[in-house]
Amino acid sequence: MARIELSSVTKSWGDVVAVEPTDLVIDDGELVAILGPSGCGKSTTLFMLAGIYAPSGGELRFDGAVVNEVEARHRNVGIVFQSYALYPHMNVRRNIMFPLKFKGVPAAEARRRAEETARLVQVGELLDRTPAQMSGGQQQRVALARALVKEPQLLLLDEPLSNLDATLRLSMRSEIRRLQRQLGVTTILVTHDQVEATTMADRIVCMSKGRIEQVGSVDDLFLRPKSLFVASFIGAPPINLVDARAEGGRLALPHQAVGTKAGDGDVVIGIRPENVALGAPDREGCLAATVLQVEPMGRETLYVLDSALGRLHALEHGAQRRFRDGDRVGCELPLSAMLLFDRQSGLRIEEPGLAAG
Amino acid sequence: MAATRKPDQAEWDALAARSRSEARRNQSLLIAFLVTVSLPVLLPYFWMFTISVSAKTGGVESIVLWKSSAILVPTIVGIGLVNAFVGDRMRKLYAAAAIVVAAVLAIFISIGDELHLGNYVFLHNSNFVQDLEGRRQATTESQFPSVWLAFGNSLMLASAQTVLVLFVSTLAGYYLSRFQFAGRQAFLQSLLILHAFPAMTLIIPIFLLMYWSGMLDTLTGVLLVVTTLELPFAIFIMKGFFDAVPWDIEMSALADGASRRQAFFMVVLPQVRVGMLAVGVFAFIKGFEEYVFVRTLLFDKQNWVMSLYIFWVSDDIMGVDYGIVAAVAVFYVMPSVMLYLFCQKYLVQMNIGGIKG
Ligand SMILES: Nc1ncnc2c1ncn2[C@@H]1O[C@H](COP(=O)(O)OP(=O)(O)OP(=O)(O)O)[C@@H](O)[C@H]1O
Ligand SMILES: [Mg+2]
Repeated sequence: MARIELSSVTKSWGDVVAVEPTDLVIDDGELVAILGPSGCGKSTTLFMLAGIYAPSGGELRFDGAVVNEVEARHRNVGIVFQSYALYPHMNVRRNIMFPLKFKGVPAAEARRRAEETARLVQVGELLDRTPAQMSGGQQQRVALARALVKEPQLLLLDEPLSNLDATLRLSMRSEIRRLQRQLGVTTILVTHDQVEATTMADRIVCMSKGRIEQVGSVDDLFLRPKSLFVASFIGAPPINLVDARAEGGRLALPHQAVGTKAGDGDVVIGIRPENVALGAPDREGCLAATVLQVEPMGRETLYVLDSALGRLHALEHGAQRRFRDGDRVGCELPLSAMLLFDRQSGLRIEEPGLAAG
Repeated sequence: MAATRKPDQAEWDALAARSRSEARRNQSLLIAFLVTVSLPVLLPYFWMFTISVSAKTGGVESIVLWKSSAILVPTIVGIGLVNAFVGDRMRKLYAAAAIVVAAVLAIFISIGDELHLGNYVFLHNSNFVQDLEGRRQATTESQFPSVWLAFGNSLMLASAQTVLVLFVSTLAGYYLSRFQFAGRQAFLQSLLILHAFPAMTLIIPIFLLMYWSGMLDTLTGVLLVVTTLELPFAIFIMKGFFDAVPWDIEMSALADGASRRQAFFMVVLPQVRVGMLAVGVFAFIKGFEEYVFVRTLLFDKQNWVMSLYIFWVSDDIMGVDYGIVAAVAVFYVMPSVMLYLFCQKYLVQMNIGGIKG
């Protein structure tokens, strides 16, 4: 149970900068998800917290104390590796008991705790198997048990659910969340599954190319993204992005004239597929489009459209397919749902002041 | 486009039958090949053994050799055939056992009268050469040391070499695999060059070195020389095995509370057991069969090893008594054969994992 602080923490190997100077505070007992594309430095950040990599610069604090040079074994951090990293020559029981060896827990007590933890993650029947005799999902859960058994002050999970089937993933999600609350252990969860991040985490850290792009709640990231990257990374299917130009307080869109407070320059308009409303063609103020493709997604239907603004996605609730391939439709693009970004900097223009006319 | 016709059941069956018969044919060819190439290898050993238990002073009865070979060859072919054509495991075992029993019976019936253990006299009588040549001298001092002394020296040399090679190559291999240091690449290359370098060319300098350092005619001196020559390759092999051990499990052990040394012994070392076994077995056998350097560097009878013993035995009585030479040879190869038999189960699992720079 610790409060974790990173101040200008950075990691580089020669010229390769894996993590740029990063500031982040994680409160005691909080569950924070790090979300970002492959290679953005998520694992590197975790390894620095675990004490496996020494930061190249900056300060790492646990409960206010600088731990930059504290060895991994003294940090009491539980970590689940992306590759599980189970010990191949030990069976599940001995794998889970391994961390307890170094804490001076008596053997009988260690066995009991190992079995208890194994049951918690539903691998109670596999205690005598070796890692080679288990599926990926089972190995992942054993790794989780091994990280939990030592009651760490900080739990680091590097994509702990990536190999589970959909049902198991759902139950493990809530199980981890429940455990985490119950134990009150500060937890960092690395994932590139945004649903996982949004459902489990108190806060989400969105990373890209070694930098933190934005930290916030799901709503912050989804409704008020700070940058083009966050807007396009969060949300599935991804946001529609349209290039436009602001000139003299006006945005020239093919179907509609829009007034704006944004200064002159190239901008990018973002609008989420679920905000694109489809209707009859040739209506006033609507963008004419042709349906290229209909993708039924169960509870929702995704339309791929071709329009004067380029390729657009529209998402409608309900399974009924109102349009078919080749149909002509009119799209309403509500100004209130539009996000405006500066093309140069990639940052969102916070007060775009969009108005019809 | 031509419509492709689907094959019917009869055609599928024909295909299956063809692949079955092909598999059987390949298997038979393989076994025929193995039998053919193993005969020339096995025969000399078999003859060596036969001579050692049948030859009498003055010469070898070649009819005994022909008779025994006439039994051996069909036995091997028979076992090969059983292997090829008997499917069931238990029946295979029974059939092979029956063939072996029949062969042993046949040997006893055909040449049983010729068999005797007289040639193993050297095991308890170190004066056998004088006895044989009928020149009982006034002195009671033996010309040969006891064979057990030479055997003990050989075992000691081989075991000490095994321990030293294992110790150094394991630590060096680990260091080379895990740590980046100046000159690492050059070190690796020089290991290979050293291995390719013919050791014979070093004999004179080594002799001088031993002489100057006062280690000439000591087992310790020989031990250091042969160990040094064996090390480059052993280090290289061990490095390959360590390269194949993922970093993750080591890091995981560190995070679990192990020190670097504990992680090495408890997690990394068990992954390279097979490599250590291979390196150890080869080092032992190399030390046990070493001839060139012991011949050059050892003079005193008390320091003889088995290879010198067999050399002097054959030098003294060759042409008079092949039987004793063969018997000494059989005695000499026993430890190596037994070592192989014990370890082969593990050695065949070995694949020299990921050797890279
Ligand atoms: N030991 C290393 N030496 C040099 N560069 C490294 C090393 N480890 C990682 N990197 C680089 O640092 C960057 C971040 O790597 P990291 O493993 O943290 O990515 P990640 O966000 O965990 O990606 P993924 O989702 O694929 O696991 C990558 O560009 C990677 O190539
Ligand atoms: Mg990673």
